[in-house]
Amino acid sequence: MLIGADSADDAGVYRISEDLALIQTLDFFPPVVDDPYDFGRIAAANALSDVYAMGGTPKTAMNIVAFPAQSMAVEVLRDILAGGIDILREAETVLLGGHSIVDEELKYGLSVTGFVHPQRVLANRGLLPGDCLVLTKPLGVGIVNTAVKGGLAEEETIRRVTRQMATLNRDAARVMADFAVSACTDVTGFGLLGHLAEMIAGTATRVRIDAGAVPVLSEARDFAAIGLVPAGAYKNREYRRSMVEMADDFDPLLRDILFDPQTSGGLLIGLAEKQAPALVARLHEAGVEAAAIVGQVVAGDGIIEVR
Amino acid sequence: MKTLDARGLACPGPVLLAKKTLDDQRPERLAMLVDNDAARENVGRFLASRGFAVSVERQGDDYLLSGLLQGGGGGDVAAAPTATATATAVQAQPAAAPTRVVVLIGSDQLGRGDEQLGGKLMVSYLKTLKEMGPELWQLIFVNGGVRLTLDDSPVLAELQEYERDGVIVLACGTCLAHFAVSERQRVGQSTNMLDIVTATQLADKVIALS
Repeated sequence: MLIGADSADDAGVYRISEDLALIQTLDFFPPVVDDPYDFGRIAAANALSDVYAMGGTPKTAMNIVAFPAQSMAVEVLRDILAGGIDILREAETVLLGGHSIVDEELKYGLSVTGFVHPQRVLANRGLLPGDCLVLTKPLGVGIVNTAVKGGLAEEETIRRVTRQMATLNRDAARVMADFAVSACTDVTGFGLLGHLAEMIAGTATRVRIDAGAVPVLSEARDFAAIGLVPAGAYKNREYRRSMVEMADDFDPLLRDILFDPQTSGGLLIGLAEKQAPALVARLHEAGVEAAAIVGQVVAGDGIIEVR
Repeated sequence: MKTLDARGLACPGPVLLAKKTLDDQRPERLAMLVDNDAARENVGRFLASRGFAVSVERQGDDYLLSGLLQGGGGGDVAAAPTATATATAVQAQPAAAPTRVVVLIGSDQLGRGDEQLGGKLMVSYLKTLKEMGPELWQLIFVNGGVRLTLDDSPVLAELQEYERDGVIVLACGTCLAHFAVSERQRVGQSTNMLDIVTATQLADKVIALS
């Protein structure tokens, strides 16, 4: 076993031979959008993301379904699964089967298995002083989804955030494979600062985040300003309060965005400062348009400094 | 003021409840009980974004948020003249543009304490009222308020100007008769209680000064 349940990593990794290790991960959740097909795509992209974040290639997947069969038309389930399959196809991953149960609340997700070379596993620990941090998708998904849930988002906004959530981290991971990456994770439920905290907690490194450089969905700020911040963002902040240094007059809206829980968020990649601009340029070429350098790693005390 | 109970509502439920209440009823005060930090911050932020000054009070495991609508679209505290008035938001029509505000004036003085001061404050209020802009729909004078529509009114010119600008100015006919001053009315139309009831019913907001 290379990475197991004792780590806060994205997936488990088990070495099979000198040159092959298995990555296994599982993720499922209730709907984040109204459209069943889109929900299927988002759930699949989200489940696959952990494999990409470990530096691996997804190979097989199994569906996990909880469905309120009494109250919901079976077409809904069919559309969800169709969305999932389309994303799996895009990821060149084979669906082997799955399991469904009847439940009051709809939930869908997948268990995904991928391959990685044992020497090429990208854990979330391993950032080094002198590294830069690159983020590949804009933040604010949780806030925008809260507005969507409240019926306060425009159609265009829903389309944009749906497209972002259903976008695989595959292209970003392929580009990343050409670089000497010291650590990587995908930004999901704990938000940018929460996942970053996992990367450096208890280490001799300190991270400086340049908040102004962090890509953010354009609507997130306005929604945050009228109180559409998911409870998770506050919990994330509370949980990591002691690890995050922020000026007293730091913009509270931006602060919430930095802690905002993401669904199918981007990769957070650490690599040597000299290499970072080249990685960002290659990501942009590959269509990962939002990719940006968002911070630096220095020697220090396991603290995140946000400026 | 009714207290809205948003305890037990999952995010973004408390904000949506506050939003619905503001949109439907346009209250100037709003109180809401919430049971978690996220809702406290979110509802507080929402009310602030709508121009309310918000205070939070801990009540056991819950929080009571109290919002008071600030004058002039946020920022400073309500201007002095209204501070002593009994300003009450009644009526709630769904948001039909433009907003129609009725100001119901029951006295020629604003507030109680000193008659001379009250008279000055009312003059100041009526002069400043034009800052409300086109939302001002009707000015209705009842009881002692009808004196402000007479030939010796200190705001006669101002009220006539409101009328020229399209504001409906009404004076209670019964009240004019009671004070035996019907002949001295120089601005507005004399009206009856049915008109007043109808006006306050159709308004988006009624500001009652007594």
